[in-house]
Amino acid sequence: MSSPVLSPTTGEPVSVVGRRNRIGLIFLIVVDFSGTMALIVSYCYLWSLNVNNGWAPNTPSLNSNNDVKGRSPLPWADDWPFWAILGLTVLATVILWLGIRSLRSGNRGGLVAASFVALLVTLVTIAMQWWQMATFPFGVENGAYASAVFLLTGSNMFNLLISAFILFGIVNRSREGLIATDNPWQARLAGYWMVWICAAILLGALCTTFLKESSNPTPENFGNFSLFNPDKPTPTPSPSPSASPSASPSPSAS
Amino acid sequence: MADTMTPTPGSGEQPEEPTNRPPALHRLRDWLQRRYVRHVLIITVVIGFILLPLCWLIVAAMNQTGAPASVVMEDIEQTVFVFTLVSIPITAFVFAVLVYSLFGWKGKSGDTPPNEDNPAIRNNLVAVITWSVVTSALAAFLVVWGLMELASITNNSFGTQPANGQVKQEDVLVVNVTGQQWVWTFEYPQYDKYQSDVLYLAKDRPVLFNVTSKDVVHNFWAVELGVKIDANPGAVTQTGVTPNKEGIFNVRCAELCGLHHAYMETQIRVMEPDTFNSWMRENGGGKTS
Amino acid sequence: MSTATATIYSVDVPQPKQHGKPGGIMRRLNFFTGLAGGVILAAVFGFLMNIQFASGAQTADFASASAGPTFWAIMVGWVLGFMGGMGAFVGPIRWVMGRDLTHADAEFMAGKDQGKFRYWRFTTDHKVVGIQYLIMAMVILGFGGLLAMLIRTELGVTWAEVFNPDFYNSLVGTHGIAMIIAMIIVVSGPVGNFIIPLMCGARDMAFPRLNALSIWLLVCAVPPLILSLLVGGIRDGWSVYQPLNSQAGPGMIGYQTTIIVFAVSTAIASVNIMTTILTMRAKGMTWSRTPISIYGVFAAAAMGLYAFPFYQYSQILSMTDRLINTSFFDPVEGGSVWLYENLFWLLGHPEVYVILIPSTAIILELIPVFMRKPLFSYYMAIAGIVGVVGLSGLVWAHHMYMTGWAPQANYPFMLSTEMISIPVGFLVLVIIGTMWRGTFWSRLPMMAVFAVVFNKMIGGVTGIYLSDVPADQYFHGSMFVTAHFHYMLMGVALFGAMGGVAYYFPKWTGRYLDERMGSIGFWLAFIGFQITFGSMFVAGLQGQPRRVLQFDNLFNISNWISTIGAYTIGIAMLIFLGAIISSWRHGEMAPSNPWQAQTLDWQTATPVPLDNFPVLPVVKGLPYDYGVPDPLAPEKVEARLREEYEKAGTP
Repeated sequence: MSSPVLSPTTGEPVSVVGRRNRIGLIFLIVVDFSGTMALIVSYCYLWSLNVNNGWAPNTPSLNSNNDVKGRSPLPWADDWPFWAILGLTVLATVILWLGIRSLRSGNRGGLVAASFVALLVTLVTIAMQWWQMATFPFGVENGAYASAVFLLTGSNMFNLLISAFILFGIVNRSREGLIATDNPWQARLAGYWMVWICAAILLGALCTTFLKESSNPTPENFGNFSLFNPDKPTPTPSPSPSASPSASPSPSAS
Repeated sequence: MADTMTPTPGSGEQPEEPTNRPPALHRLRDWLQRRYVRHVLIITVVIGFILLPLCWLIVAAMNQTGAPASVVMEDIEQTVFVFTLVSIPITAFVFAVLVYSLFGWKGKSGDTPPNEDNPAIRNNLVAVITWSVVTSALAAFLVVWGLMELASITNNSFGTQPANGQVKQEDVLVVNVTGQQWVWTFEYPQYDKYQSDVLYLAKDRPVLFNVTSKDVVHNFWAVELGVKIDANPGAVTQTGVTPNKEGIFNVRCAELCGLHHAYMETQIRVMEPDTFNSWMRENGGGKTS
Repeated sequence: MSTATATIYSVDVPQPKQHGKPGGIMRRLNFFTGLAGGVILAAVFGFLMNIQFASGAQTADFASASAGPTFWAIMVGWVLGFMGGMGAFVGPIRWVMGRDLTHADAEFMAGKDQGKFRYWRFTTDHKVVGIQYLIMAMVILGFGGLLAMLIRTELGVTWAEVFNPDFYNSLVGTHGIAMIIAMIIVVSGPVGNFIIPLMCGARDMAFPRLNALSIWLLVCAVPPLILSLLVGGIRDGWSVYQPLNSQAGPGMIGYQTTIIVFAVSTAIASVNIMTTILTMRAKGMTWSRTPISIYGVFAAAAMGLYAFPFYQYSQILSMTDRLINTSFFDPVEGGSVWLYENLFWLLGHPEVYVILIPSTAIILELIPVFMRKPLFSYYMAIAGIVGVVGLSGLVWAHHMYMTGWAPQANYPFMLSTEMISIPVGFLVLVIIGTMWRGTFWSRLPMMAVFAVVFNKMIGGVTGIYLSDVPADQYFHGSMFVTAHFHYMLMGVALFGAMGGVAYYFPKWTGRYLDERMGSIGFWLAFIGFQITFGSMFVAGLQGQPRRVLQFDNLFNISNWISTIGAYTIGIAMLIFLGAIISSWRHGEMAPSNPWQAQTLDWQTATPVPLDNFPVLPVVKGLPYDYGVPDPLAPEKVEARLREEYEKAGTP
């Protein structure tokens, strides 16, 4: 039986170091999970409340003929980017895991190639996410739904950027031979992270696809004691309390 | 004392369960004979009696401006009174242990630990169970009392009324309360939407408050009536009460709302129903609903 | 015995190539380069953003539209520049490049042979980080305490407005968040970092570089908060509810930056503490032989882990609402104030247990040492801690009873909140059980226990009032709430932390904390505390709302009394601080185990050598075996008699 491989930094067995790092990563994923739940909760709660009937975007740019249609969330046909991004991330994850698997044969090259391909896929995903955010028919200032969609996609972007960085590290390190073939714990941790990213993107995609029209069609009107009447024409939103001159910036500053 | 712990020579088994253990009540009596136990219990009772006036003092502090002016407030005060009362025994006991530790078992200063012969009590099942049962029973009492109280107050406050539907009782006075930086405005939709910045109410007539805000979060607090609800922008919250005392009371804002939050106060004037009706007739419209 | 710069245990493993001197670029980076980097990058980013949004930024009108983006750019520049200048990015870059730390690198980063200057660097040694946390906690406490004195001055001067209301509201809010941050780190920082690895019998924490990262992120988070006071302040209490939040000036961005960075710091520290405790306990230290303070610190870290992201996101979303006009909390465009409140209180409640549990755990840890008795019912203490952690995530909406967000939800939340008093009660039982029948060693750490238990009962009972929805209908938003949480967060947590400081002072500094001066400061603070907050209860009962600077004459007397008490606290805290400073510099030298405690942390030499233990210890039992074995304990009697029998029976 060969003696355990020791870490140069601390002299401890690498398996001990790997196990410790795995627990640390799991805790970090718990933190990110809490954060993701904050986003999901925000989306779902705002969807359910529809405060001042402001859930859906209030720009008529979707279809300028029909005012009512202009207040709708994204149509089903426009949902495909969410799922495509999920698909690509899953693809990158699977490729990375295949690469980790290939280390069993003792050959590093499989991991180098796989992680490189995973990195490329992730970069494509980032580009696609950017494209999606840039081409939404609404802006970030167009109501709670728009804000929440941007929040979920922005969070995806952030997670994907971190993933790209990690994958880049795995590519470089496996290329330099720093990832042991019998205990590739760092690559495995990267794999766990990618799996979590897929889960986070999935949660977001479920929200944006299935929670569109608010569940509350008759919320209260802001500032008075009447209910919003769906038969009456869409009220123009009154000036927001944050748009008074003594407070924060208005969007026209850009 | 009978030695029950000697193992039978040659057996090598665990000793049998003691067969001459005194009954529980005798053991309790023996425990109570110990000097420190008696002293701690006496101090508990003394501290308990010292703390007892707090029940009345606390309620008296709440009543300095004319409270209680409604059944809701009376319920709240009764709750506070009872909670104080039931918390006193455990509080007094813990304080008594602290006192006896200071003056009975005492402490010694020095550069080294003063002694090493304190009894090594690692656990005491009776104490643990007693404490757990008592605190759980106390918590259960508080919960049950609180839940029943909450249900009763909700009932008295129209807490389950739909936002803009028909009021359930005929003689309910509806007041729309609007908070904005930094004034309260009261609108009477039943009296031709008469608006006022003083809250006029009729004695013994139930009131339903619909509360909202035009800007930031405020909190509508009718102090002596025991009514409190946030005034949220974009939502209408509801509460209600039946004032049962005439007089002038206070509305304060209980949620920080900016520069003049401290000054966002106004009056409540509870008057006889006839006076109220004539006031409404003179100042607003006649009763329209 | 061993010097402070003794070597780390030697490592006979093939080392990667050493690029340059050990430590590499980290040799040149320290707090001063961080400060320079932060200031320079803040100025650059602010300047660039100012070009983008030029109008109005040159004026002193902080409410102008462009001040927000410019200030935000300054904050981003500060964070990136400071952390970059500290060397925080070196680690990830080295990892990506494949340049792993050699043993010499690790020794350098742990501060070997650097003397006092290692406290100004990105040092990974957990003992250094612990002291850094202690200093930061005291600095922030001092800042918050100064603001408290100003607040009480305003409230004591009932006949005039000392400060303008906006500035007063900023004082209140900044005092709140400063104290919250200080109290979160005051025990988890010094004890969690310095002591816990020693108590576990480990050489360092699980992730030493993350340890350094967490303290420097904290240091990075403080200047934006202080700066915010100068730029309009946070005028909305420490909870900065929306939409009032959006009305404040750019100083609010400082607050949001502080929280976002602090949340990252706390998350990293929690991961570190939890992994250390899970994986690096000494051989033989099973869960039933683990000192209770390890449970307490672990519990606090766990609660911080799952709860802080909600708070962080509430601030991120507030920031986007302000800067790019999203509508999360703006009711006109579909946003909800209740969303903010829920996100906030999802952390806001576990946070108070993050503050309370470590202090209580330290008290539980030191009581056996000074009573010379085992901890009473160790398992009840664990049950109490676990119960609190378990329930802490289920009670947050008791802060929202009066918001009207979900009236039916008030019932279950009242139930869970009342339930949480039971595990807290277990902890009180363990304390008084340990005090039962014991002659105690009347040093300052022990005397602190009396203060803590006294305050805990008052805080706990008043908490019961607040947990009851009908009673809360009167008390919410009044000074009664303020007095209650000060009893818990200051009366229990801060006084407990002061006792902990007195307890651990000899291990941290090698000297005793001056008993006399420390006790005078402590007890004067205790008396002042009772006066201040006892009187504040009265003000709340009478009906004084929170966060008001002027009020009806009815409340005058209770406020005058509170202010006098507050000044007393201020003087007393200065005395205690004086005791700390003078003892640190020339106090009486202490041996390495002055309290003759049995936990592993006290078995180290003082000053603790770089690798903590020459040989990693092995644990055989719970470290609470004080006192003569109880002669009546059955197992001891049986063992003794069996021994005698065997001796007698041997031919």
